[in-house]
Amino acid sequence: MIEIWLNGLCTGSIYALLALGFVLIYKSTGILNFAQGELAMVGAFLCYTFAMLLDLPYVVAFLIALAIGAILGAFLDALFFRKMVGEPIFSTIMVTVGLASILSCVAGILWGHDVHAIHSPFTHRTASLGGIVLSQGALYTIGASLVLIVIFVLFFNRSLLGIAMKGTAEDPHTSGLLGIPVKRIHMLSWAIGSAVAVVAGIFLAEQSFVRLSMSHTGIKAMAAAILGGMDSIGGAILGGVLIGIVEGLAANYLSGMEIGDFQFGDVKDVAAFGIMILVLMIRPQGIFGKRKVERV
Amino acid sequence: MAEHFKISYRQDMALFPNLWVRIWLGILILLLLMAPCFLPRYPLSILNEMGIAVIGALGLNLLTGYTGQISLGHGAFVAIGAYSSALLTEKAGLPFLISLPLSGLIAAGLGLIVGVPSLRLKGLYLALGTLAFGFIVEYVLFHWGLTQGDMGMAVKKAQILGFTFKTEKAYFYLIVSIACLAALCAKNLARTKIGRSFVAIRDRDIAAEAMGIPLAQYKIMAFGVSSFYAGVAGCLLAHYQKWIVPGAFDLSLSIAYIAMIILGGLGTILGSVLGAILITGIPHGILYLTDALKVSYPVLSGLVVDFKLGIFGLIIVLTLLLEPRGLYGIYSRIKIYWKTWPYRY
Repeated sequence: MIEIWLNGLCTGSIYALLALGFVLIYKSTGILNFAQGELAMVGAFLCYTFAMLLDLPYVVAFLIALAIGAILGAFLDALFFRKMVGEPIFSTIMVTVGLASILSCVAGILWGHDVHAIHSPFTHRTASLGGIVLSQGALYTIGASLVLIVIFVLFFNRSLLGIAMKGTAEDPHTSGLLGIPVKRIHMLSWAIGSAVAVVAGIFLAEQSFVRLSMSHTGIKAMAAAILGGMDSIGGAILGGVLIGIVEGLAANYLSGMEIGDFQFGDVKDVAAFGIMILVLMIRPQGIFGKRKVERV
Repeated sequence: MAEHFKISYRQDMALFPNLWVRIWLGILILLLLMAPCFLPRYPLSILNEMGIAVIGALGLNLLTGYTGQISLGHGAFVAIGAYSSALLTEKAGLPFLISLPLSGLIAAGLGLIVGVPSLRLKGLYLALGTLAFGFIVEYVLFHWGLTQGDMGMAVKKAQILGFTFKTEKAYFYLIVSIACLAALCAKNLARTKIGRSFVAIRDRDIAAEAMGIPLAQYKIMAFGVSSFYAGVAGCLLAHYQKWIVPGAFDLSLSIAYIAMIILGGLGTILGSVLGAILITGIPHGILYLTDALKVSYPVLSGLVVDFKLGIFGLIIVLTLLLEPRGLYGIYSRIKIYWKTWPYRY
């Protein structure tokens, strides 16, 4: 039973990291980035390239993938989203959907459709905590997520740059008038957002393999961000963890159940979406989000 | 000169206002009637796919282009139409002539149900909600014993009053006639009070409500109408392909439909048609290109699978960046240029 919870916590922390990237980009630019899962996948593939194909040590590959991910994010912002500044939100969301497909296609061309594995210092090493055997990779994922959470919460609430980011999200025009370099802040938030996605992708590759369909996790992480509240970092983390745990519980208890002609198999895939619909119907702003007031 | 000025409401609203339009319409009808006699099977099959896509794209454009409700789950409604028609003709033994509107109505019913929670959701939340709905529908169709999941379902050929549609030619006439009817209905819907209310909701829904347009009624109606179109398209798809699997109606189908209306032009009927034609033609174009280049670049044939979704994404991004009004915007700009030539405006 505890194993289910801990494994759920582990997948949950990956969802939490991806959801953190969503919320970061949403808080700073107001754009919902449908390409977050694809960025994570590209980051994992980059790490794979550097670690396995070029035989660099794991930490170096990790950092290089992180750097390239951040540059890619900033590049996407400068190339696409700067031009979409005045456009309705539908267009911007569709651009991210389009970018997701393009990234997926490019990754498929560059790295192929095979499944790969990354060998890190944590693979196949387990630690036992009071009689329960956990993989070290899982522990490090949870630990790294916690560290990143603390860093980002402090960043957004205490540091000047973080508060500037919140300001540009709320009202880009006024922030610009006040002297905040809005374009640079957007680029920076995209860089941070995609760097976080790369971290999440590499951790996800820890637990399973590096493959093209990793991007589906990105859509589940959107459910996590919605559950926690799109404009709350703590909410994103909590949402991710909750979805991870609920998925684990659902997979354990609901799988194999049959109602009439209907078989509940593979509940893991759809549990997150069921939660997303429930949240959207009952409390669209999520657990910690603020209700958006619409003015005519 | 007098023919350029419209002096009655009837003239203003007319679909075919002057002689030239009617001549072009006549030529189009003639071409459509004679095409199957000249074209071999493969191009006819492409045209059939395009026809089905046109119906689906019209529905989505009514919902997203005219009413402004983002829907990433359109593929789910097409799936519902396809499966309900398959079940109605196979298990319930209903004739195709009844199962066609009935599958549209079933999809519309589900659309109405989805429309109710959509009243609370705006913009990105609605996009996510419809996305989740799409995934859940795919999951249900996959795991339900009735729909036989991944094994797929065999669908009978369409039969109207004893005549079985066996050839591409027969399906061409069926699909094109239904598509023309659908386009006419959509165009008329856009011209009436309902269409204007849709546009008002898209532009400023709170102001529309303040002016007396009942938001709930029209938003739910928009979902219902668009799902009806999707259901009809799904039914035709099922009977045309004669074999359906849930995996064919996943997120990539919804994205393909969104690409169709974005490329063609949101909020226009001509745009849906143009976008549907182009987007359906592109995978075949890619196949043709990779086949032609296979001799010199053999590695390309393995990449076709990737290319399709990537090119749709690229089309969406480029259209939104460079010409947000899509092909219809380009068409209307060219029309205005030639109408006002040699003046600038």
